[in-house]
Amino acid sequence: MLKQTLSLVLMAALSPLAAHAQSENFSEHEQALYEAAKEEGEVIWYTSQFTTEMSEAACELFMKRYEGITCSPVRATGGVTFQRIMQEVQAGAVQGDILSTNDQTDLIELKKLDALEQFVPNGIETMSPVLKGMNDSDGYFFVSSVSPYGITYNTNLVSEEEAPKSWSDLLDPKWKDQVAIAHPGFSGSAGLWTLAMRDLYGWEYFEKLEVGKPQIGRSIADGYNLVVSGERKVAVTAIALSRQGAVDGQPVATVTPSEGLMLPPSGTAILAAAPHPNAAKLFAEFMLTEEYSVWLRDLQRYPLHADVDTAEGIDPLDPDKVLIVPAQEAIEGLAEVQEKFRDTFGI
Amino acid sequence: MTLVSSSSSQRDTSFAGAGAHVAWFRRLQPSGLLWIVLAAILAVLIVAPVGMLVMKSFTHPDSGGFTIQNYIDAYGKARHVQALVNTLYMGAAVVVLSLLFAVPLAWACTRTNMPGRNLIRFGIFGAFVMPPYLGGVGWILLAGPNSGWLNVAWQWLTGGTESIVNIFSFPGLVLVMAINTYFTIFILVSAAFEMINSEMEDAANILGAGPFTTAMKVTLPLVLPSILGSALLTFLISIALYGVPALISIPARFPVVVIQLSEFFSFPLRIEVAAAYSIPLLLITAGLLTLQKKVLSRKGYTAVSGKGGERRIVNLGKWRWAAFAYSLFVVMLSVIMPLLVLVMAAFSKSWVGGLSLDNLTLQNFHYVLFEHSSSQKALVTSLATGAAAATAAILLALAIAYIVQRRLLPMSEVLAFLSMSPFVIPGIVLAIGFYAVYALPPVGLYGTYLILILAFTTRFLPVAYTTSMAGVRAIHPEMEEAVRILGGGRLVAVRKVVGPLLKRTLASGWLLIFVPAAQELSTAVFLVGPNTRVVSVVLLDMSEEGLLERLSALGSVLLVIIVAVMAIGVRFLGRDFMLRRS
Repeated sequence: MLKQTLSLVLMAALSPLAAHAQSENFSEHEQALYEAAKEEGEVIWYTSQFTTEMSEAACELFMKRYEGITCSPVRATGGVTFQRIMQEVQAGAVQGDILSTNDQTDLIELKKLDALEQFVPNGIETMSPVLKGMNDSDGYFFVSSVSPYGITYNTNLVSEEEAPKSWSDLLDPKWKDQVAIAHPGFSGSAGLWTLAMRDLYGWEYFEKLEVGKPQIGRSIADGYNLVVSGERKVAVTAIALSRQGAVDGQPVATVTPSEGLMLPPSGTAILAAAPHPNAAKLFAEFMLTEEYSVWLRDLQRYPLHADVDTAEGIDPLDPDKVLIVPAQEAIEGLAEVQEKFRDTFGI
Repeated sequence: MTLVSSSSSQRDTSFAGAGAHVAWFRRLQPSGLLWIVLAAILAVLIVAPVGMLVMKSFTHPDSGGFTIQNYIDAYGKARHVQALVNTLYMGAAVVVLSLLFAVPLAWACTRTNMPGRNLIRFGIFGAFVMPPYLGGVGWILLAGPNSGWLNVAWQWLTGGTESIVNIFSFPGLVLVMAINTYFTIFILVSAAFEMINSEMEDAANILGAGPFTTAMKVTLPLVLPSILGSALLTFLISIALYGVPALISIPARFPVVVIQLSEFFSFPLRIEVAAAYSIPLLLITAGLLTLQKKVLSRKGYTAVSGKGGERRIVNLGKWRWAAFAYSLFVVMLSVIMPLLVLVMAAFSKSWVGGLSLDNLTLQNFHYVLFEHSSSQKALVTSLATGAAAATAAILLALAIAYIVQRRLLPMSEVLAFLSMSPFVIPGIVLAIGFYAVYALPPVGLYGTYLILILAFTTRFLPVAYTTSMAGVRAIHPEMEEAVRILGGGRLVAVRKVVGPLLKRTLASGWLLIFVPAAQELSTAVFLVGPNTRVVSVVLLDMSEEGLLERLSALGSVLLVIIVAVMAIGVRFLGRDFMLRRS
């Protein structure tokens, strides 16, 4: 009895607040999804587009906005995440709800297997025009983050003048044993970078790179951390990591290579057999909210929402100055460069 | 009749003698049912995954028909063959280094008056508790080519910029493997040293041989079977380990089988090719075991017996300090140094920041215990699945060991053989077999705790069986017969006599399984789902992102919990429960 009374009192005390918050912020569509998602109670987010820490922060933000729904991020590299989903699709036991990856070719493969659900979030209307064009035209996935590849270096070990200025500078013998890259067999976006470099300079680029014995990590974040620790002086990495690191006081600086940043637009899709489809849709809508874009901006990343500007000191993305590997080329070329990479680097 | 004659001859006679009806009826007696139940469990755990693996390797992925294309895909490439050659080469090097570490230490700890023997034993025990991938991370912190602590210290001492050690190399890989495997050799060879009596050594002494000549010419040959057996075991463990190669062999550019297998497991998922690729590994291990049996059966080693004579401690004189220095060196390399840097990194903002108050933080622990989305749950999952697997393995092994030892059922050797067979199946290969049978529909266990527990139970069944067998063997049947004379049944005898007498053996066996099972990576890596991640997998993911400080913090938490469980065990079982196994 006491319990019941207490809960009634609590509900009465809280409901005006909650109702107020919802009626002000949530559209009808969002509110309906929220109600349905609350029934499901959970969303499992497979992601390789952020680090573990960022994935968790995004989930925290989601859980704050939509009380009563648990958000569980499962972070791994693109290759590992894709492998996991393929295993699940093959096993007929899909466990994840929504997938974010830096490698859109994975999404295209999954789309071919009917493993994705067609869903265009309402929020796509407010997306910045540059990014809007990169969404899947059939409505199976949308751009959920942009984390271009650039070069980062350790400011304790390398001066600004010494630092590489272009992708081809990494071939300079002075960087022998000092470069870190990621393995395209493990990291999806590293695969795209490998394709982009091949398109620019031919496979010779990697044969020359190998002379300098770069350290090969499994993830693109690994190279960044190698530079932070001073184990390596320069790394090919997602510049969002080093921009944020610099703000946090790490001894790192970011270089925009003269050939252009390599842009793997991260894509997000809902899995066809998702155990929590409504929560997944709600999460997709959440990624396109202004709140989410502000959060991205504050982490020195590119916002998705048209009304949110980039952080101070970061130029808005210029689509003409970035290297983009077309999806079709990626699908055709990825397996080949993975194989060639293994032959050239012996691993 | 032709069908029947293919089964055992024993059954043949019963068929021929009393007719098929009686034989079938007899087999359905309760004891026969028990045999069938146990055999069915073993079939689920071992026969099905391995059988499926072999079958898949000959199956066309699309048509489902017979093909050898999988073998062509698996071995048709120089790089893939190279990985296999590399693996064997690495395994051999690991065996050599492990022997150099373990055999002198085992001898010094059991047969000499070396000072600090207990200290060294305690240190080696640490090598058992530390999982291979944590040892690997410790050594990356120590010997990273540019900023590893040893290199920084060297540069500071000499004022130069040169690096002296590089963990991302073949010797580095072998070192990290060896510091994780020499424990096995130490335990087995120590046990053998403790079984030798001193008469032959005395004879050598009387004829004028010094302590070292005696050790080399008399003692060592006597323990050779143990050395060979444990060397083989080390070889098998090292070629199947996943965590260390994932950490070290990729940057070292030294492809090995387990890394190649994970490639077949990525897109496009090629289970059939992975199966074909792992068959030679199975054949190699089976072949080596057969070879070992042949070699050992040719010579008589009856001098090694538990009975008669006494064991005298060898006086090393002034050399005893040299022996201590070497032992301490091995313990330093394998436990103290990696553990120390790991703990320091766990308390550091940046592991390269060195020792200073500015760099000190508890944030990493706070993060892994309270902020990280899955590490808290993963700790619970690891401990729970480890405990469940250890319990299941011990109970199953005990039932089989009892039946085999008391000859309760016909064909019990089959059960014995099956229980020991996971010993020759590399963990990662077992995982592929389990995945192929149980993850996919119609069974559909993917992403459940059950599949992890089943796989871990299978993986550690041989340890459970060996321990149970030793325990049961030590109990004389007379005591059970007394129960039965007084009217108690077999089950009462087991419950009231065998169980209580075996408590100690079972508990130590349980711990011997729990410790590695709670840290298991090789089997887990393909079987975990998003909700069933174990600590080892979370640690591997952290290593992938290069988050070494946080990884160290989570690894330290895992070690503390496991050491606490061990400490409780030691309290109840006595300090030497692990080091005096026969």
